[in-house]
Amino acid sequence: MDSVTLKNSVDIILTPQFYTFLREDLDLKFSYQAKQIAPSLFDDYLDRGKEYQYYVYKCGNQWCFIAYNIEEIDSFLESKGIEKHRVSKIFFAQQLADELEDPIELSSNSVLHTIDGIVTIFPKSLMPSDIEYARANFNKSKLKGGVTMGASLNSFVSLKETIILSSLFFLLGSTFIFEGYRTKSSVESDNEKLIELLSENSNFSNSRVRASLLEQYKPIDTLERQKRDSIQVISKLLSAQSQLKSLTLKNNKIEATLSITDKMVTQQVKEHAEAKNFTVSSSGNGLNVEKKL
Amino acid sequence: MNLMTLQRYKNEIVLLLSLLFMIGAFFYKSSANGYVEKNRLAVASQIAEISTIQKYKKQWDGKGLGSKVKLLKTVVPESKVKKFLKKTKKLDASYENLDAKEVTILTNKLLNVPVQITKLDIIESSKNKFKVELKCKW
Repeated sequence: MDSVTLKNSVDIILTPQFYTFLREDLDLKFSYQAKQIAPSLFDDYLDRGKEYQYYVYKCGNQWCFIAYNIEEIDSFLESKGIEKHRVSKIFFAQQLADELEDPIELSSNSVLHTIDGIVTIFPKSLMPSDIEYARANFNKSKLKGGVTMGASLNSFVSLKETIILSSLFFLLGSTFIFEGYRTKSSVESDNEKLIELLSENSNFSNSRVRASLLEQYKPIDTLERQKRDSIQVISKLLSAQSQLKSLTLKNNKIEATLSITDKMVTQQVKEHAEAKNFTVSSSGNGLNVEKKL
Repeated sequence: MNLMTLQRYKNEIVLLLSLLFMIGAFFYKSSANGYVEKNRLAVASQIAEISTIQKYKKQWDGKGLGSKVKLLKTVVPESKVKKFLKKTKKLDASYENLDAKEVTILTNKLLNVPVQITKLDIIESSKNKFKVELKCKW
């Protein structure tokens, strides 16, 4: 074969000198099962010093096994000027056994021919002299399966490990995304409430405005509540024996004078007022209670 | 890097991509947690502030208080209202000859109207008769 220069990708059909073929009648259902036992089938046929790859396919009721050495094929292709990245797929001549029932001329002294269902390279001299050779024109639809060079070269990680580990990573990643999404969604209700509040009062979106309003209203609220609470406390000090003489609420100070005739009631009122943080002082017949607000 | 190399290391590439996906997802989850912690406090604080302001405004901004303040005039007999001047969100009122019960009613009414009490004077003018002076604003 002469060297070639390629500009486009090509498919390669390998002639039998690049592979070893076996056909077995095995009770197997799936090709992965056949692939698992392939190395043991070739034990007696292959050079143990080399590493082989296996291609398996169903041929009728039997299983067809092909062993090949990708390094060898790679070297050959390189020697013919065919770069690896130009090779789309590699097929084996055995896959075209039916088409090669009519021999094709490979070179001036060899032909490719199917004998007893096995594609073989045959010396041209052994062929009848009047035979007409077919043209090597294969319909692409006849070429099924095949292997890629990349898949045949060994990876550092096996396919099984890749599937297990990448599934694990994918599962963990999906869990993280789900958890992250759920966590983010949990504040959505708070955000919606905030948006609703802000849409009702657009002025409140500014933190300075909020601070200013709080500063304005909080002292009023605190002071007015204190005034009302204090008046309530004083009103609770009143009874039949404890009567109000005066109550003054002015300049954040509340002061009340109570007239009490009974000493025991005086003591009770005093204790009660002091418990509510009032300053208590005696005043004639009664008590004077006051508190700074 | 050509197609051939990619095909040769496709297992490693798939592993690397899935690992990157997991790491990216982990960072997304971590950032989501950080976002939530930061935002939950900020949002809760803003909601609390706005709710408080709304509550304060509803209570102390004095809207619609005019009619409520008028009740301070009608809650006691008219003859006992000595002065009742209501102008521009301010009230200056005084009452006389109120008995203890009327003082209690007037005071309770005043405490339930959300006005700012600037002055309240209750003085017993004679036996069981009280004089009340009241100033408030809203």
